[in-house]
Parts: sequence; C-alpha cells; structure tokens
Amino acid sequence: MNYDAEVITTDVLIIGGGSAGLWAAKRFSEAAPERSALIVDKGPKDWGGLMTMAGGDFDAVLPGEDVDAWVQDLVYYFDGLCNQSDMEEILRRSGDRLRDYQKFGCEFFTKADGTLQSVPQRGLDHVRLYPAKLKGRGGELMVKNLVKQLKDQKVGRLGRIQITELLRHGERIAGAVGFDTLSGKFYVFHAQAVILATGMGGWKTSYGKNTPTGEGVALGYGAGARLMHFEFGRVWNMPRYFGWEGQTTLMPLGGRFINALGESFMDKYSPILGANTDPHYTTIAMAMEIRAGRGPIYFDLSRINPADTVLLRPQNGWQKLNYDKLSALGMDLFRDNTEWVPQMTVSYGGIDADIYGRTGVPGLFAAGTACATEPGVYAGGFALMTTSVTGHLAGEGAAAFLQGADSLPSTGQEAEIARLRTEAFKPLGQQGLKPKEVVTCIQRAMFPYDVSILKTENALLHALREIQRIRTEDVPRMAAADPHYLMKLREADAMAFVSELYLRASLARQETRAGHYREDFPQRKGEPRWLLWSKGAEGKPVATWKTVPLESYKHPVTRYYQDNFRFA
Amino acid sequence: MIERIDAEKCIGCGQCVRLCPLDALRLNEEGKAYIAYPEDCMTCFICERACPSGALYVHPFKEQLPSVFPDSDA
Ligand SMILES: Cc1cc2nc3c(=O)[nH]c(=O)nc-3n(C[C@H](O)[C@H](O)[C@H](O)COP(=O)(O)OP(=O)(O)OC[C@H]3O[C@@H](n4cnc5c(N)ncnc54)[C@H](O)[C@@H]3O)c2cc1C
Ligand code: SF4
Ligand code: SF4
Repeated sequence: MNYDAEVITTDVLIIGGGSAGLWAAKRFSEAAPERSALIVDKGPKDWGGLMTMAGGDFDAVLPGEDVDAWVQDLVYYFDGLCNQSDMEEILRRSGDRLRDYQKFGCEFFTKADGTLQSVPQRGLDHVRLYPAKLKGRGGELMVKNLVKQLKDQKVGRLGRIQITELLRHGERIAGAVGFDTLSGKFYVFHAQAVILATGMGGWKTSYGKNTPTGEGVALGYGAGARLMHFEFGRVWNMPRYFGWEGQTTLMPLGGRFINALGESFMDKYSPILGANTDPHYTTIAMAMEIRAGRGPIYFDLSRINPADTVLLRPQNGWQKLNYDKLSALGMDLFRDNTEWVPQMTVSYGGIDADIYGRTGVPGLFAAGTACATEPGVYAGGFALMTTSVTGHLAGEGAAAFLQGADSLPSTGQEAEIARLRTEAFKPLGQQGLKPKEVVTCIQRAMFPYDVSILKTENALLHALREIQRIRTEDVPRMAAADPHYLMKLREADAMAFVSELYLRASLARQETRAGHYREDFPQRKGEPRWLLWSKGAEGKPVATWKTVPLESYKHPVTRYYQDNFRFA
Repeated sequence: MIERIDAEKCIGCGQCVRLCPLDALRLNEEGKAYIAYPEDCMTCFICERACPSGALYVHPFKEQLPSVFPDSDA
C-alpha cells in the first residue's frame, strides 16, 4: 500500500462535485478566470453526486413571474420558518440557472405551443417544477453538460479522495487533507478558500442516497460554523422492496396512496389537499394507518389519465432499466398496487451560511445541501434549483473574498499536517468493529417510526442514549482493513454525529411545525423560531433559538400549510 | 443489489469499477471485475448501464434495512 503524500496547491478547493460543487466551480472560474479551482470528491471523478440519479425536475421562477408570490407560497409551506430575504435571492436566480441548463444542451418538456410544460407542486399556488425531457436521464445529462463546461474552463477535478480535515492558517481556513480511497495515498490541499459542497447527512437507505453521510457538515461544525434545521429529516415514501423515482409528478396527476381497506386515507387527514401533498405529511399519515392496523399501504395509479402516462412511464436511464427488471419479475407499478413504506432517508440539517455561502469562518464557504435551506418539507425540483443557485453564489462569494484577502503561504503547517496524517490512518489495519456494523446499529436506533416520523420524547431519549453509546463505545472501536473501509468508517462516524444532532434538535423543538412532527406536542407554539447549533466549550453542541425576524421581512405569516392537516 | 458479474463475459474494461459511486467493485489480478464490497451497493444500476458486454446483473431489490415499525421487517 502506498501511503505517500501528495501536496497540491489551488486558489479555491471545492469539496464535493455534486450539483452545488460543479456550479460553484463554474461560477468561481468565470468570476476569477486568473485563479485556479479544484474539485475533490470521494466518489468517482466527474460523477456529479446525487444529480447523476436525479430525474432532472427543476423549479424555476420564469421571467415575468412574480418572485414575491413564490416566496409567499414558501412562507406558508414552511409554516413561517422561511428565510425570506435569502429565499427571494435564490428564487430570483432560479430562472437563470434553468436557462443555463438549456444553453448547455439540457432539454425540458414543452407543450404544443413550444412553452415549457410545468407541474405544480404540493397544492401550492405558484411553486412548480419543469420536468426534464428524458425522464430517466435528466440529472445525468445535467452532470455531463456541466462537466463539459468545467473542462472548457480548466477546472481541476479529482475523484476517490475523501477529505478528512480542514487546514487552518490562524483564523482562516487554508485547505484540507484527505486520502485516496483506493490507494491510501495521503493528500494535502493548500487553498486560499474552501467551499464545502459535500451534501447533507443521511442514513444510507439506498434510493441513490448512500453517499450523503454528513462528513462535510461535521467538518464545518468543527471549524466553528453554525448548523441549523437538524430537527428535520426527510422521511420519504418508497416501495418496500425497490427504488422508484417520479412521485413528484405522479401525485399532482392523480396518483394516491391507499390503505389495506382500499381507502385513500389522505382525504381523511387532509380533506383540502387530499393525496397531492408533501411527502412529510403523507408519511405521517402512512405511519398512523400502519400503527392502527390498516397497513400495508399501496400506491394506486389507476386514476391517472392514460394520456398523461407518457410523462410518467420511465423512458430511459436507470429508471427504465429498473422498470424493465421489475416487469420481468412480474411487478408493474402501472398495473398492480405496490406496497410502499415510509422511510427516513437524509437529514435537512446543514450549515447556516449566507446567500454567498459565507459561514462566518473566514475562508470557509458552503453550498447546496451541505447548507440548511428547507425545514423538512420539500417540493419536487427544489433541490436541483437551490443547489445550482447556492453553488453559483458560493463560487461568486469565494471569488470576491479572494479579491480582498491576503495570500496565504503554503508552509508553516508541517507539524499539524503530520499529526493529521497519523490521525487519518490510525484505524487502518487494526482489529475492531466493521463500519457497516456500526451503520446498522445507527439505523436500528434511528428508523423506528416514533423516532423518525411520529416523534415522542420517550422514543427520542431512548434513541439518544443509544446513539451516545454508539459514539462513545462503538465509533472509537471501528477498524478499517483497507482504505475503502477507512472511508466507510469516516462516513459512519459522521452519521453518528448527524444522528445525535437530529435527536437533540427533535427533543428541543417541543412543538409541531413544517417537517417536524411531535406526537406529544402536536400543535404549533408561539412565533416561528430557528434552532441553531454551534460547538461549545468542550466540543459539545450548544443550541440557540433565533426568532424569525418577521419585522424585517416583506411578508407576514398569515397561513400555515400544516393547518391543512388533522392528525391529532 | 449487485448480484453477479459473469467472468466469461467481462472484457475487463474497468468501466463499472471506475463509475460505482460506492466503490463496491474492483478488478482482480486477471483483470476481471468482481464484487469486492457487496454490502455497500445501493442498487443504482450505474455499473450495469456502463458495462459494454452485459456482464453485470443488478437485482432491482434494494438492501433490507432495520425496521421502521415493530412486528414487520419493512
Ligand atoms: C434518485 C434521486 C432523484 C432525484 N431527483 C431530483 C429531481 O428530479 N429534482 C430535484 O430537484 N432534485 C432531485 N434529487 C435531489 C438532488 O439530486 C440532490 O438534492 C442534489 O443533487 C444535491 O446536490 P449537492 O451538490 O448539494 O449534494 P450531493 O449531490 O450529495 O454532492 C455532494 C458530493 O460531495 C461528495 N462528498 C461528500 N463528502 C465528501 C468528503 N468527505 N470528501 C470528498 N467528497 C465528499 C459526495 O461524493 C458528492 O459527490 C434527486 C435525488 C435522488 C437521489
Ligand atoms: S448498482 Fe450502483 S452501487 Fe451497486 S455495484 Fe452497481 S454501481 Fe455500485
Ligand atoms: S464494465 Fe463490464 S466488461 Fe467492463 S470491467 Fe465491468 S463487468 Fe467487465
């Protein structure tokens, strides 16, 4: 095994080459063409993160549309927990990113008159997505086209390197270290600024989501950045046995979930919205139906107008292959009712960065789902939009920062680097727990419905004790037989960190609001407040509440999306 | 999850190994792809779609995970 070190110097280091990282690189190298940009990803070079598997649905406010109306939709949808000024800025740029994609060669569905076909989302008045033309390859083509831009702009790109620590120079972030997950080679990156575009934390539940495990968020926290939205997890409804993509377009067209009695149960929990609502609310209802003995839950597409199925039936990409394989096994989603289950997948917790990705730590920027953007409710097409816009803005922010910043030397940190290197490889070749065993323990603690969906204090406390035990007993006992396992070990460590914050935050928020449902506190309480986390004196997370500054925002909170539902 | 790689069909191009997001696949000494870390597969089909010789088969069923509800293995 080769444990040599390779030292690389770049102006900006972008950790993570998903939607956010690719856009950050693109914008940075446009705004500062004389400077160098390098993307480093623990996955394959140029794979594009989750976007590779995405349908390519994209939310955008098109020219001539009213941005304020969209913001008002989101204030309502987020039950007041909307950062209105940031959201306005993001939405204002969403149409430009859609146009960029079109310019790069991505195609979206059009109507007979040539205008873009849109699908309204979650029963909201204005928020809508634009579906990619090639349903199963939309995201993949976005990646290919963006990477082509980066090649033209001479952005450096490296794959299969996991970043394990950030480097500092005084107060400023000055690069990072990591290792090659195949060869074990140690890497030192000296940089004038770093952009964390590492995605969110998560629980490895397949469905294309086994890479986001929260290491980047944990690195940001360690460096002094504030975190937010940890009480919100994305509970997704998925087929029990396989993956499926396309619900966000199926629901508005008549798709619905039914219980074992054949009842379209959402009509009962929300006579106003019925089945066409946010998966957060659908999964609460599913969990209640299953608990009451009315499971299993099936997905019923019989009400969809046959003419609409062209939008729905997978035409290409992994979705088509999946569809064909399932058909070969005698399973057809369009013909048979398939069993679906609610499943916690990823965390909404992320770094509290401003619109330019600034984290408050000099030289450290964050973009995409590594940042906190939504409080647990999520419109289809929202992520590709927010990650492209916030990536783009973080690239701009980093370029502006470097204009005014002193140039950092790339020497003087030798002792620290040597220490980090020893630290990084410590678990290698030792005897101990396998990362996968620890991941399974974390999942066992986190998945039960009273921890992940219908949260109660007892269940959350029980899970917190188990996660704390895992963090103090199991995590330090993990060992890695090779660099592959060393990467999985770091992921398991970050998953445990994210899980603890999820539990602490879920316990702290003693109310029900947006994507957080407390069965023991089923009502909304008082003014909307955000819950922030920072690293305290002994490394312990410290919580701070921040009242949403409605007095400085344009829109008062006059209605709440959650009021469409009756669960208690 | 990834189920099998047919060594007869594999031409050792390394595409699947290069593209697997979870680094579940590797090439052996004979230059053939094999499933090195089966437990890490997330059923994304990227390897199978990239294979020029149809040597890989990914079963569409995903990994079984710990339960969400008691008395069920969902
Ligand atoms: C199947 C599927 C379908 C989807 N469909 C849609 C859709 O149609 N529309 C929509 O809007 N959204 C969709 N999404 C969601 C959307 O694709 C993602 O939310 C978005 O692409 C996330 O982008 P990101 O850059 O923030 O994070 P990611 O894509 O997670 O990128 C983060 C990158 O950082 C790397 N990384 C992480 N940690 C490290 C580390 N320590 N060192 C080095 N690298 C690291 C990862 O390998 C990854 O490449 C879909 C997601 C999935 C999985
Ligand atoms: S299906 Fe995806 S995760 Fe599994 S081996 Fe193939 S490429 Fe890797
Ligand atoms: S892509 Fe196919 S042919 Fe190429 S190495 Fe993998 S299994 Fe073999």
